[in-house]
Amino acid sequence: MSNLRTSAFVAALVLTAFLAASGDPYFMDIFILTCFFGTLAVCWNMMAGLTGLMSLGHPLFVGIGAYSVAWGASAHGLPPLVTWPLGIALSVAAAAVIGMLCFRYGLRGYFFAIATLAFNEVAFFAVSASVALGRSDGIILPTSPDDSPFHLQFFERWPYGLIIGTILIGVVSAGELLMRSRTGYYWRALRDNEEAAEALGVHARAYKLWCFMFTAGVAGLCGSFYANYVAFVDPRSVLGIDLSVQMLVYSIIGGMSLLWGPLVGAVILVPFSVVLRGITPIPGGDLIVYAVLLAVLALVLPQGIAGWFIARRQRRKIRRRGDEAPGVAS
Amino acid sequence: MTPVLELRNVSKSFGGLQALSDVSFTVEAKEIFAIIGPNGAGKTTLFNCVAGAMAPTAGQIRLDGHRIDGRRPHEVCRRGLARTFQIVKPFRGMTVLENVKVAAFLHHRTARAAEAAAEAVLERIGMHDVAYVDAEELNVAQLRRLEIARALATRPKLLLLDEMLAGLTATEAAEMCDRIRQLPSEGIAVIVVEHSIPVISRLCPRAVVLTFGKVLLEGPTRDVIADPRTQEAYLGSAPS
Repeated sequence: MSNLRTSAFVAALVLTAFLAASGDPYFMDIFILTCFFGTLAVCWNMMAGLTGLMSLGHPLFVGIGAYSVAWGASAHGLPPLVTWPLGIALSVAAAAVIGMLCFRYGLRGYFFAIATLAFNEVAFFAVSASVALGRSDGIILPTSPDDSPFHLQFFERWPYGLIIGTILIGVVSAGELLMRSRTGYYWRALRDNEEAAEALGVHARAYKLWCFMFTAGVAGLCGSFYANYVAFVDPRSVLGIDLSVQMLVYSIIGGMSLLWGPLVGAVILVPFSVVLRGITPIPGGDLIVYAVLLAVLALVLPQGIAGWFIARRQRRKIRRRGDEAPGVAS
Repeated sequence: MTPVLELRNVSKSFGGLQALSDVSFTVEAKEIFAIIGPNGAGKTTLFNCVAGAMAPTAGQIRLDGHRIDGRRPHEVCRRGLARTFQIVKPFRGMTVLENVKVAAFLHHRTARAAEAAAEAVLERIGMHDVAYVDAEELNVAQLRRLEIARALATRPKLLLLDEMLAGLTATEAAEMCDRIRQLPSEGIAVIVVEHSIPVISRLCPRAVVLTFGKVLLEGPTRDVIADPRTQEAYLGSAPS
Protein backbone atom coordinates (compact mmCIF):
# COMPACT_ATOMS: atom_id res chain seq x y z
CA MET A 1 0.00 0.00 0.00
CA SER A 2 2.95 2.30 0.64
CA ASN A 3 3.54 2.12 -3.09
CA LEU A 4 0.09 3.58 -3.77
CA ARG A 5 0.10 6.56 -1.41
CA THR A 6 -1.22 9.02 -3.99
CA SER A 7 -3.97 6.64 -5.11
CA ALA A 8 -5.05 6.02 -1.51
CA PHE A 9 -5.19 9.76 -0.87
CA VAL A 10 -7.13 10.38 -4.11
CA ALA A 11 -9.53 7.53 -3.27
CA ALA A 12 -10.21 9.01 0.17
CA LEU A 13 -10.71 12.45 -1.33
CA VAL A 14 -13.06 11.17 -4.05
CA LEU A 15 -15.08 9.15 -1.56
CA THR A 16 -15.43 12.13 0.80
CA ALA A 17 -16.43 14.47 -2.03
CA PHE A 18 -18.87 11.88 -3.39
CA LEU A 19 -20.57 11.48 -0.01
CA ALA A 20 -20.68 15.24 0.48
CA ALA A 21 -22.22 15.82 -2.98
CA SER A 22 -24.62 12.87 -2.99
CA GLY A 23 -27.44 14.83 -1.36
CA ASP A 24 -27.72 17.47 -4.07
CA PRO A 25 -27.83 16.89 -7.88
CA TYR A 26 -26.17 20.29 -8.50
CA PHE A 27 -23.16 19.43 -6.37
CA MET A 28 -23.14 15.90 -7.79
CA ASP A 29 -22.92 17.39 -11.30
CA ILE A 30 -19.94 19.46 -10.19
CA PHE A 31 -18.36 16.34 -8.65
CA ILE A 32 -18.91 14.38 -11.88
CA LEU A 33 -17.47 17.12 -14.10
CA THR A 34 -14.47 17.51 -11.78
CA CYS A 35 -13.76 13.77 -11.88
CA PHE A 36 -14.28 13.67 -15.66
CA PHE A 37 -11.90 16.55 -16.41
CA GLY A 38 -9.54 15.42 -13.66
CA THR A 39 -9.24 11.96 -15.26
CA LEU A 40 -8.70 13.46 -18.71
CA ALA A 41 -6.11 15.93 -17.45
CA VAL A 42 -4.20 13.25 -15.49
CA CYS A 43 -4.04 10.95 -18.52
CA TRP A 44 -3.12 13.83 -20.86
CA ASN A 45 -0.35 14.91 -18.48
CA MET A 46 1.09 11.40 -18.43
CA MET A 47 1.97 12.13 -22.04
CA ALA A 48 2.85 15.82 -21.86
CA GLY A 49 4.29 16.32 -18.39
CA LEU A 50 5.76 12.91 -17.66
CA THR A 51 6.80 11.65 -21.12
CA GLY A 52 7.34 14.95 -22.88
CA LEU A 53 4.84 14.37 -25.69
CA MET A 54 2.57 17.39 -26.08
CA SER A 55 -0.55 16.02 -27.74
CA LEU A 56 -3.27 18.40 -28.89
CA GLY A 57 -5.22 15.54 -30.42
CA HIS A 58 -6.62 13.80 -27.35
CA PRO A 59 -10.20 15.03 -27.97
CA LEU A 60 -10.10 12.70 -30.98
CA PHE A 61 -9.99 9.73 -28.62
CA VAL A 62 -12.67 11.20 -26.35
CA GLY A 63 -14.77 11.64 -29.50
CA ILE A 64 -14.16 8.07 -30.67
CA GLY A 65 -15.31 6.75 -27.29
CA ALA A 66 -18.34 9.04 -27.16
CA TYR A 67 -19.43 8.42 -30.74
CA SER A 68 -18.96 4.63 -30.40
CA VAL A 69 -21.45 4.66 -27.53
CA ALA A 70 -23.87 7.14 -29.13
CA TRP A 71 -23.83 5.56 -32.58
CA GLY A 72 -23.94 2.01 -31.19
CA ALA A 73 -26.93 2.82 -28.99
CA SER A 74 -28.91 4.94 -31.46
CA ALA A 75 -28.30 2.96 -34.65
CA HIS A 76 -28.02 -0.60 -33.32
CA GLY A 77 -29.36 -0.52 -29.76
CA LEU A 78 -26.03 -1.79 -28.41
CA PRO A 79 -25.56 -1.64 -24.63
CA PRO A 80 -22.53 0.01 -22.92
CA LEU A 81 -21.22 -3.48 -22.19
CA VAL A 82 -20.42 -3.67 -25.91
CA THR A 83 -19.93 -0.02 -26.87
CA TRP A 84 -17.54 0.97 -24.07
CA PRO A 85 -14.94 -1.73 -24.92
CA LEU A 86 -15.49 -0.91 -28.60
CA GLY A 87 -14.87 2.79 -27.98
CA ILE A 88 -11.71 2.09 -25.98
CA ALA A 89 -10.43 -0.42 -28.56
CA LEU A 90 -11.02 2.01 -31.44
CA SER A 91 -9.31 4.84 -29.53
CA VAL A 92 -6.28 2.66 -28.85
CA ALA A 93 -6.20 1.50 -32.49
CA ALA A 94 -6.40 5.10 -33.76
CA ALA A 95 -3.59 6.09 -31.38
CA ALA A 96 -1.49 3.16 -32.62
CA VAL A 97 -1.84 4.31 -36.25
CA ILE A 98 -1.26 8.03 -35.53
CA GLY A 99 1.56 7.27 -33.10
CA MET A 100 3.35 4.92 -35.48
CA LEU A 101 3.22 7.58 -38.20
CA CYS A 102 4.41 10.40 -35.91
CA PHE A 103 7.15 8.45 -34.15
CA ARG A 104 8.30 6.70 -37.33
CA TYR A 105 9.12 10.13 -38.76
CA GLY A 106 10.57 11.38 -35.46
CA LEU A 107 8.01 14.12 -34.77
CA ARG A 108 8.68 15.79 -31.43
CA GLY A 109 7.74 18.93 -29.53
CA TYR A 110 5.67 21.44 -31.48
CA PHE A 111 5.66 19.24 -34.58
CA PHE A 112 4.07 16.37 -32.69
CA ALA A 113 1.52 18.77 -31.16
CA ILE A 114 0.59 20.17 -34.59
CA ALA A 115 0.38 16.69 -36.16
CA THR A 116 -1.99 15.42 -33.45
CA LEU A 117 -4.04 18.61 -33.69
CA ALA A 118 -4.33 18.08 -37.45
CA PHE A 119 -5.66 14.53 -36.99
CA ASN A 120 -8.16 15.87 -34.46
CA GLU A 121 -9.34 18.62 -36.81
CA VAL A 122 -9.74 16.16 -39.69
CA ALA A 123 -11.94 13.99 -37.44
CA PHE A 124 -13.91 17.06 -36.30
CA PHE A 125 -14.79 18.07 -39.85
CA ALA A 126 -15.35 14.48 -41.01
CA VAL A 127 -17.84 13.85 -38.18
CA SER A 128 -19.48 17.26 -38.75
CA ALA A 129 -20.13 16.20 -42.35
CA SER A 130 -21.18 12.61 -41.65
CA VAL A 131 -24.92 11.96 -41.91
CA ALA A 132 -24.61 8.64 -40.05
CA LEU A 133 -23.06 10.48 -37.08
CA GLY A 134 -25.69 13.23 -37.01
CA ARG A 135 -23.47 15.87 -38.70
CA SER A 136 -22.84 18.94 -36.52
CA ASP A 137 -26.24 18.46 -34.81
CA GLY A 138 -24.88 15.40 -33.01
CA ILE A 139 -26.62 12.25 -31.76
CA ILE A 140 -29.18 11.99 -28.97
CA LEU A 141 -28.99 8.65 -27.19
CA PRO A 142 -32.29 6.75 -26.91
CA THR A 143 -33.62 6.97 -23.36
CA SER A 144 -36.17 4.94 -21.43
CA PRO A 145 -38.58 6.41 -18.85
CA ASP A 146 -37.26 4.13 -16.10
CA ASP A 147 -33.80 3.50 -14.73
CA SER A 148 -31.91 1.01 -16.87
CA PRO A 149 -28.58 0.00 -15.31
CA PHE A 150 -27.88 -2.26 -18.31
CA HIS A 151 -27.96 0.85 -20.55
CA LEU A 152 -26.37 3.05 -17.85
CA GLN A 153 -29.47 5.21 -17.65
CA PHE A 154 -30.30 6.58 -14.24
CA PHE A 155 -32.70 9.25 -13.10
CA GLU A 156 -30.43 10.11 -10.16
CA ARG A 157 -26.93 11.57 -10.71
CA TRP A 158 -25.07 9.63 -8.03
CA PRO A 159 -24.60 6.37 -10.04
CA TYR A 160 -22.74 8.42 -12.67
CA GLY A 161 -20.69 9.95 -9.87
CA LEU A 162 -19.85 6.50 -8.61
CA ILE A 163 -18.75 5.37 -12.08
CA ILE A 164 -16.55 8.37 -12.90
CA GLY A 165 -15.14 8.45 -9.36
CA THR A 166 -14.12 4.80 -9.75
CA ILE A 167 -12.61 5.56 -13.17
CA LEU A 168 -10.58 8.43 -11.69
CA ILE A 169 -9.26 6.30 -8.83
CA GLY A 170 -8.47 3.47 -11.28
CA VAL A 171 -6.59 5.80 -13.64
CA VAL A 172 -4.58 7.43 -10.83
CA SER A 173 -3.73 3.97 -9.38
CA ALA A 174 -2.72 2.61 -12.79
CA GLY A 175 -0.72 5.78 -13.43
CA GLU A 176 1.04 5.52 -10.08
CA LEU A 177 1.91 1.86 -10.62
CA LEU A 178 3.19 2.65 -14.12
CA MET A 179 5.27 5.61 -12.97
CA ARG A 180 6.97 3.46 -10.32
CA SER A 181 7.71 0.67 -12.80
CA ARG A 182 10.28 0.36 -15.56
CA THR A 183 7.78 1.94 -17.98
CA GLY A 184 7.44 5.09 -15.86
CA TYR A 185 11.19 5.47 -15.49
CA TYR A 186 11.63 5.06 -19.24
CA TRP A 187 8.89 7.63 -19.94
CA ARG A 188 10.55 10.19 -17.68
CA ALA A 189 13.95 9.43 -19.19
CA LEU A 190 12.51 10.02 -22.67
CA ARG A 191 11.08 13.33 -21.49
CA ASP A 192 14.41 14.48 -20.07
CA ASN A 193 16.70 13.30 -22.86
CA GLU A 194 15.66 10.91 -25.59
CA GLU A 195 19.17 10.42 -27.01
CA ALA A 196 20.62 9.48 -23.62
CA ALA A 197 17.66 7.18 -22.89
CA GLU A 198 18.13 5.32 -26.18
CA ALA A 199 21.83 4.93 -25.46
CA LEU A 200 20.85 3.17 -22.20
CA GLY A 201 18.71 0.60 -24.01
CA VAL A 202 15.32 2.36 -24.01
CA HIS A 203 13.30 1.56 -27.13
CA ALA A 204 12.11 5.14 -27.53
CA ARG A 205 9.57 4.57 -30.29
CA ALA A 206 7.90 1.62 -28.54
CA TYR A 207 7.65 3.34 -25.16
CA LYS A 208 6.30 6.58 -26.63
CA LEU A 209 3.74 4.59 -28.61
CA TRP A 210 2.74 2.65 -25.49
CA CYS A 211 2.18 5.92 -23.61
CA PHE A 212 0.14 7.38 -26.47
CA MET A 213 -2.01 4.23 -26.72
CA PHE A 214 -2.54 3.96 -22.96
CA THR A 215 -3.65 7.57 -22.57
CA ALA A 216 -5.81 7.32 -25.70
CA GLY A 217 -7.55 4.31 -24.15
CA VAL A 218 -8.29 6.33 -21.00
CA ALA A 219 -9.56 9.25 -23.11
CA GLY A 220 -11.79 6.80 -25.02
CA LEU A 221 -13.12 5.50 -21.69
CA CYS A 222 -13.90 9.06 -20.57
CA GLY A 223 -15.65 9.73 -23.90
CA SER A 224 -17.77 6.59 -23.47
CA PHE A 225 -18.77 7.75 -20.00
CA TYR A 226 -19.57 11.25 -21.25
CA ALA A 227 -21.96 9.89 -23.92
CA ASN A 228 -23.95 7.89 -21.36
CA TYR A 229 -23.88 10.68 -18.77
CA VAL A 230 -25.05 13.53 -21.03
CA ALA A 231 -27.01 11.23 -23.43
CA PHE A 232 -26.00 13.53 -26.26
CA VAL A 233 -22.81 13.98 -28.26
CA ASP A 234 -21.88 16.52 -30.91
CA PRO A 235 -18.54 17.33 -32.54
CA ARG A 236 -18.06 20.57 -30.58
CA SER A 237 -18.38 18.97 -27.14
CA VAL A 238 -16.26 15.85 -27.66
CA LEU A 239 -13.97 16.66 -30.59
CA GLY A 240 -13.47 20.39 -30.14
CA ILE A 241 -10.13 22.03 -29.48
CA ASP A 242 -11.68 23.46 -26.26
CA LEU A 243 -11.26 20.05 -24.67
CA SER A 244 -7.52 20.08 -25.43
CA VAL A 245 -7.25 23.57 -23.99
CA GLN A 246 -9.03 22.46 -20.81
CA MET A 247 -6.68 19.48 -20.33
CA LEU A 248 -3.74 21.82 -20.92
CA VAL A 249 -5.01 24.50 -18.50
CA TYR A 250 -5.74 22.05 -15.67
CA SER A 251 -2.32 20.47 -16.13
CA ILE A 252 -0.41 23.76 -16.27
CA ILE A 253 -2.23 25.26 -13.29
CA GLY A 254 -2.07 22.03 -11.28
CA GLY A 255 1.53 21.32 -12.23
CA MET A 256 2.87 19.03 -14.94
CA SER A 257 5.74 17.47 -13.05
CA LEU A 258 3.61 15.16 -10.89
CA LEU A 259 0.96 12.57 -11.69
CA TRP A 260 -1.60 14.26 -9.42
CA GLY A 261 -0.80 17.84 -10.45
CA PRO A 262 -3.52 18.12 -13.13
CA LEU A 263 -6.08 16.70 -10.71
CA VAL A 264 -5.37 19.61 -8.36
CA GLY A 265 -5.92 21.97 -11.30
CA ALA A 266 -9.27 20.32 -12.12
CA VAL A 267 -10.39 20.26 -8.46
CA ILE A 268 -9.81 24.01 -8.19
CA LEU A 269 -10.88 25.23 -11.62
CA VAL A 270 -13.87 23.04 -12.58
CA PRO A 271 -16.04 23.85 -9.51
CA PHE A 272 -14.87 27.46 -9.69
CA SER A 273 -15.97 27.87 -13.33
CA VAL A 274 -19.32 26.11 -12.74
CA VAL A 275 -20.13 28.18 -9.63
CA LEU A 276 -18.94 31.35 -11.35
CA ARG A 277 -21.25 30.70 -14.32
CA GLY A 278 -24.17 30.47 -11.93
CA ILE A 279 -23.49 33.66 -9.99
CA THR A 280 -22.17 36.11 -12.61
CA PRO A 281 -24.91 38.56 -13.59
CA ILE A 282 -23.29 39.75 -16.85
CA PRO A 283 -23.21 37.27 -19.78
CA GLY A 284 -19.61 36.21 -20.34
CA GLY A 285 -18.56 37.78 -17.05
CA ASP A 286 -17.62 34.37 -15.66
CA LEU A 287 -15.13 33.90 -18.47
CA ILE A 288 -13.47 37.24 -17.68
CA VAL A 289 -13.12 36.35 -13.99
CA TYR A 290 -11.91 32.86 -14.92
CA ALA A 291 -9.30 34.29 -17.29
CA VAL A 292 -8.08 36.74 -14.63
CA LEU A 293 -7.73 33.87 -12.14
CA LEU A 294 -5.73 31.82 -14.67
CA ALA A 295 -3.45 34.79 -15.36
CA VAL A 296 -2.89 35.37 -11.64
CA LEU A 297 -2.18 31.67 -10.99
CA ALA A 298 0.20 31.54 -13.96
CA LEU A 299 2.06 34.60 -12.63
CA VAL A 300 2.16 33.57 -8.98
CA LEU A 301 2.79 29.84 -9.51
CA PRO A 302 4.50 29.53 -12.91
CA GLN A 303 5.38 25.85 -12.26
CA GLY A 304 1.85 25.03 -11.16
CA ILE A 305 0.60 24.10 -7.73
CA ALA A 306 2.41 20.73 -7.74
CA GLY A 307 5.55 22.50 -8.97
CA TRP A 308 5.30 24.86 -6.01
CA PHE A 309 5.07 21.84 -3.65
CA ILE A 310 8.14 20.26 -5.22
CA ALA A 311 10.14 23.49 -5.08
CA ARG A 312 9.20 23.88 -1.40
CA ARG A 313 10.24 20.29 -0.67
CA GLN A 314 13.54 20.81 -2.48
CA ARG A 315 14.26 24.03 -0.58
CA ARG A 316 13.68 22.17 2.70
CA LYS A 317 15.89 19.29 1.55
CA ILE A 318 18.72 21.65 0.56
CA ARG A 319 18.40 23.52 3.84
CA ARG A 320 18.49 20.25 5.80
CA ARG A 321 21.47 19.01 3.81
CA GLY A 322 23.20 22.35 4.33
CA ASP A 323 22.76 21.97 8.07
CA GLU A 324 24.02 18.37 8.09
CA ALA A 325 26.85 18.32 5.56
CA PRO A 326 27.62 21.58 3.78
CA GLY A 327 28.76 21.26 0.18
CA VAL A 328 27.72 17.67 -0.52
CA ALA A 329 26.87 18.46 -4.11
CA SER A 330 29.22 21.38 -4.48
CA MET B 1 39.88 -14.88 -30.00
CA THR B 2 37.10 -12.67 -31.41
CA PRO B 3 37.81 -8.96 -30.93
CA VAL B 4 35.17 -7.14 -28.91
CA LEU B 5 34.84 -4.53 -31.66
CA GLU B 6 35.77 -4.81 -35.31
CA LEU B 7 35.37 -2.09 -37.91
CA ARG B 8 35.76 -3.02 -41.57
CA ASN B 9 35.94 -0.24 -44.15
CA VAL B 10 33.40 1.93 -42.38
CA SER B 11 32.44 5.06 -44.31
CA LYS B 12 29.96 7.80 -43.57
CA SER B 13 29.02 10.70 -45.79
CA PHE B 14 26.66 13.61 -45.29
CA GLY B 15 25.65 14.61 -48.81
CA GLY B 16 28.91 15.64 -50.46
CA LEU B 17 30.92 15.61 -47.23
CA GLN B 18 32.89 12.42 -46.55
CA ALA B 19 33.08 12.33 -42.73
CA LEU B 20 34.56 8.81 -42.52
CA SER B 21 36.36 6.93 -45.22
CA ASP B 22 37.26 3.22 -45.07
CA VAL B 23 37.94 3.19 -41.34
CA SER B 24 39.12 -0.23 -40.14
CA PHE B 25 40.52 -1.31 -36.78
CA THR B 26 39.85 -3.80 -34.00
CA VAL B 27 39.60 -3.51 -30.23
CA GLU B 28 40.37 -6.55 -28.09
CA ALA B 29 38.49 -7.57 -24.96
CA LYS B 30 39.56 -5.81 -21.74
CA GLU B 31 41.65 -3.30 -23.68
CA ILE B 32 41.78 0.47 -23.29
CA PHE B 33 42.01 1.87 -26.79
CA ALA B 34 42.29 5.51 -27.84
CA ILE B 35 40.96 7.36 -30.85
CA ILE B 36 42.86 10.58 -31.36
CA GLY B 37 42.87 13.23 -34.01
CA PRO B 38 42.42 16.96 -34.50
CA ASN B 39 39.03 18.68 -34.36
CA GLY B 40 36.83 17.64 -37.27
CA ALA B 41 38.74 14.39 -37.83
CA GLY B 42 35.52 12.35 -37.51
CA LYS B 43 35.96 10.93 -34.00
CA THR B 44 32.46 11.75 -32.76
CA THR B 45 30.92 10.64 -36.07
CA LEU B 46 32.74 7.33 -35.65
CA PHE B 47 31.40 7.06 -32.08
CA ASN B 48 27.90 7.77 -33.32
CA CYS B 49 28.19 5.10 -36.03
CA VAL B 50 29.45 2.50 -33.55
CA ALA B 51 26.80 3.37 -30.93
CA GLY B 52 23.96 3.29 -33.45
CA ALA B 53 23.11 6.99 -33.38
CA MET B 54 24.05 7.09 -37.10
CA ALA B 55 24.09 4.36 -39.71
CA PRO B 56 27.34 4.10 -41.66
CA THR B 57 27.05 4.61 -45.42
CA ALA B 58 29.25 1.58 -46.07
CA GLY B 59 31.26 -1.03 -44.19
CA GLN B 60 30.66 -3.37 -41.30
CA ILE B 61 30.79 -2.94 -37.53
CA ARG B 62 30.88 -6.09 -35.39
CA LEU B 63 30.45 -6.22 -31.63
CA ASP B 64 31.60 -9.54 -30.20
CA GLY B 65 31.24 -11.05 -33.69
CA HIS B 66 27.67 -9.75 -34.24
CA ARG B 67 26.99 -7.10 -36.84
CA ILE B 68 25.64 -3.91 -35.28
CA ASP B 69 25.98 -1.43 -38.16
CA GLY B 70 22.64 0.20 -38.87
CA ARG B 71 21.15 -1.03 -35.59
CA ARG B 72 19.30 1.48 -33.37
CA PRO B 73 21.13 2.70 -30.22
CA HIS B 74 18.93 0.68 -27.82
CA GLU B 75 19.68 -2.53 -29.77
CA VAL B 76 23.41 -1.80 -29.72
CA CYS B 77 23.19 -1.16 -25.98
CA ARG B 78 21.40 -4.47 -25.45
CA ARG B 79 24.26 -6.19 -27.32
CA GLY B 80 26.68 -4.85 -24.70
CA LEU B 81 27.89 -1.44 -25.83
CA ALA B 82 27.45 1.64 -23.67
CA ARG B 83 28.56 5.18 -24.29
CA THR B 84 28.97 8.53 -22.62
CA PHE B 85 28.44 11.89 -24.31
CA GLN B 86 30.86 14.71 -24.96
CA ILE B 87 28.19 17.11 -23.66
CA VAL B 88 26.71 15.42 -20.58
CA LYS B 89 23.08 14.39 -20.88
CA PRO B 90 21.69 13.65 -17.42
CA PHE B 91 17.98 13.11 -16.81
CA ARG B 92 17.58 16.42 -15.00
CA GLY B 93 14.16 15.68 -13.55
CA MET B 94 15.51 12.66 -11.63
CA THR B 95 17.86 11.99 -8.73
CA VAL B 96 21.27 10.40 -9.26
CA LEU B 97 19.91 7.01 -8.15
CA GLU B 98 16.95 7.26 -10.53
CA ASN B 99 19.28 8.15 -13.39
CA VAL B 100 21.26 4.97 -12.83
CA LYS B 101 18.07 2.97 -12.22
CA VAL B 102 16.91 3.77 -15.77
CA ALA B 103 20.04 2.02 -17.05
CA ALA B 104 19.74 -0.84 -14.54
CA PHE B 105 16.25 -1.66 -15.81
CA LEU B 106 17.93 -3.11 -18.91
CA HIS B 107 18.75 -6.27 -16.94
CA HIS B 108 16.22 -6.08 -14.09
CA ARG B 109 12.46 -6.27 -14.44
CA THR B 110 11.38 -5.06 -11.00
CA ALA B 111 11.98 -1.61 -9.55
CA ARG B 112 13.45 -3.13 -6.38
CA ALA B 113 16.03 -5.21 -8.25
CA ALA B 114 16.94 -2.25 -10.48
CA GLU B 115 17.37 -0.04 -7.43
CA ALA B 116 19.66 -2.55 -5.74
CA ALA B 117 21.75 -2.82 -8.90
CA ALA B 118 21.88 0.97 -9.27
CA GLU B 119 22.97 1.37 -5.63
CA ALA B 120 25.74 -1.19 -6.18
CA VAL B 121 27.02 0.73 -9.22
CA LEU B 122 26.94 4.04 -7.33
CA GLU B 123 28.89 2.44 -4.49
CA ARG B 124 31.45 1.13 -7.00
CA ILE B 125 31.84 4.52 -8.68
CA GLY B 126 31.94 6.40 -5.37
CA MET B 127 28.69 8.30 -5.79
CA HIS B 128 26.56 6.66 -3.09
CA ASP B 129 26.74 9.83 -0.97
CA VAL B 130 24.87 11.81 -3.65
CA ALA B 131 22.41 9.05 -4.62
CA TYR B 132 19.37 11.08 -3.57
CA VAL B 133 20.59 14.41 -4.93
CA ASP B 134 18.79 15.77 -7.98
CA ALA B 135 20.92 15.37 -11.09
CA GLU B 136 20.58 19.07 -11.91
CA GLU B 137 22.40 19.95 -8.69
CA LEU B 138 25.60 18.08 -9.62
CA ASN B 139 28.82 19.76 -10.71
CA VAL B 140 30.66 18.85 -13.93
CA ALA B 141 32.87 16.18 -12.36
CA GLN B 142 29.89 14.51 -10.71
CA LEU B 143 27.90 14.65 -13.94
CA ARG B 144 30.75 12.95 -15.80
CA ARG B 145 30.87 10.23 -13.13
CA LEU B 146 27.10 9.87 -13.38
CA GLU B 147 27.47 9.26 -17.12
CA ILE B 148 29.93 6.44 -16.39
CA ALA B 149 27.70 5.03 -13.62
CA ARG B 150 24.71 4.90 -15.97
CA ALA B 151 26.78 3.26 -18.68
CA LEU B 152 28.16 0.66 -16.24
CA ALA B 153 24.65 -0.16 -15.01
CA THR B 154 23.88 -1.54 -18.49
CA ARG B 155 26.67 -4.13 -17.89
CA PRO B 156 28.61 -3.35 -21.06
CA LYS B 157 31.35 -5.38 -22.74
CA LEU B 158 32.58 -2.21 -24.41
CA LEU B 159 32.39 1.34 -23.12
CA LEU B 160 32.82 4.38 -25.37
CA LEU B 161 34.04 7.46 -23.50
CA ASP B 162 33.73 10.70 -25.44
CA GLU B 163 36.01 13.40 -23.97
CA MET B 164 35.34 12.38 -20.39
CA LEU B 165 37.98 14.71 -18.98
CA ALA B 166 36.64 17.88 -20.58
CA GLY B 167 35.97 20.54 -17.93
CA LEU B 168 37.62 18.61 -15.09
CA THR B 169 40.40 19.92 -12.84
CA ALA B 170 43.75 18.07 -12.79
CA THR B 171 42.78 16.22 -9.58
CA GLU B 172 39.35 15.25 -10.90
CA ALA B 173 40.91 14.11 -14.20
CA ALA B 174 43.44 11.94 -12.33
CA GLU B 175 40.61 10.36 -10.29
CA MET B 176 38.65 9.72 -13.45
CA CYS B 177 41.69 8.10 -15.11
CA ASP B 178 42.09 5.79 -12.11
CA ARG B 179 38.48 4.69 -12.47
CA ILE B 180 38.85 4.11 -16.19
CA ARG B 181 42.03 2.08 -15.60
CA GLN B 182 40.09 -0.31 -13.32
CA LEU B 183 37.46 -1.14 -15.95
CA PRO B 184 39.41 -3.84 -17.89
CA SER B 185 39.79 -5.81 -14.65
CA GLU B 186 35.97 -5.88 -14.52
CA GLY B 187 35.87 -7.39 -18.03
CA ILE B 188 35.08 -4.15 -19.85
CA ALA B 189 36.94 -2.89 -22.90
CA VAL B 190 37.13 0.89 -23.24
CA ILE B 191 37.48 3.22 -26.20
CA VAL B 192 38.56 6.71 -25.25
CA VAL B 193 38.31 9.85 -27.34
CA GLU B 194 40.43 12.50 -25.70
CA HIS B 195 42.42 15.57 -26.67
CA SER B 196 44.97 15.40 -23.89
CA ILE B 197 47.93 13.48 -25.36
CA PRO B 198 49.71 12.98 -21.98
CA VAL B 199 46.54 11.40 -20.58
CA ILE B 200 46.13 9.17 -23.63
CA SER B 201 49.72 7.99 -23.48
CA ARG B 202 49.38 7.06 -19.80
CA LEU B 203 45.95 5.47 -20.07
CA CYS B 204 45.83 3.64 -23.43
CA PRO B 205 48.39 1.07 -24.62
CA ARG B 206 47.07 1.26 -28.20
CA ALA B 207 45.64 4.07 -30.32
CA VAL B 208 44.41 4.98 -33.77
CA VAL B 209 44.87 8.42 -35.32
CA LEU B 210 42.06 9.77 -37.44
CA THR B 211 42.43 12.70 -39.77
CA PHE B 212 39.93 13.92 -42.35
CA GLY B 213 37.85 10.81 -41.63
CA LYS B 214 40.64 8.38 -42.49
CA VAL B 215 42.89 6.19 -40.37
CA LEU B 216 46.30 7.77 -40.46
CA LEU B 217 48.09 5.44 -38.07
CA GLU B 218 47.32 2.58 -35.70
CA GLY B 219 49.59 0.96 -33.13
CA PRO B 220 51.16 1.37 -29.70
CA THR B 221 50.24 4.79 -28.36
CA ARG B 222 53.79 6.00 -27.72
CA ASP B 223 54.84 5.16 -31.31
CA VAL B 224 51.70 6.71 -32.77
CA ILE B 225 52.14 9.93 -30.82
CA ALA B 226 55.84 10.17 -31.64
CA ASP B 227 55.21 9.74 -35.35
CA PRO B 228 55.77 12.99 -37.30
CA ARG B 229 52.61 12.34 -39.31
CA THR B 230 50.53 12.60 -36.11
CA GLN B 231 52.19 15.87 -35.20
CA GLU B 232 51.60 17.13 -38.70
CA ALA B 233 47.92 16.15 -38.48
CA TYR B 234 47.56 18.17 -35.27
CA LEU B 235 49.81 21.11 -36.02
CA GLY B 236 49.96 21.20 -39.82
CA SER B 237 53.13 20.89 -41.89
CA ALA B 238 56.07 23.11 -41.03
CA PRO B 239 56.57 26.03 -43.43
CA SER B 240 59.45 25.40 -45.82
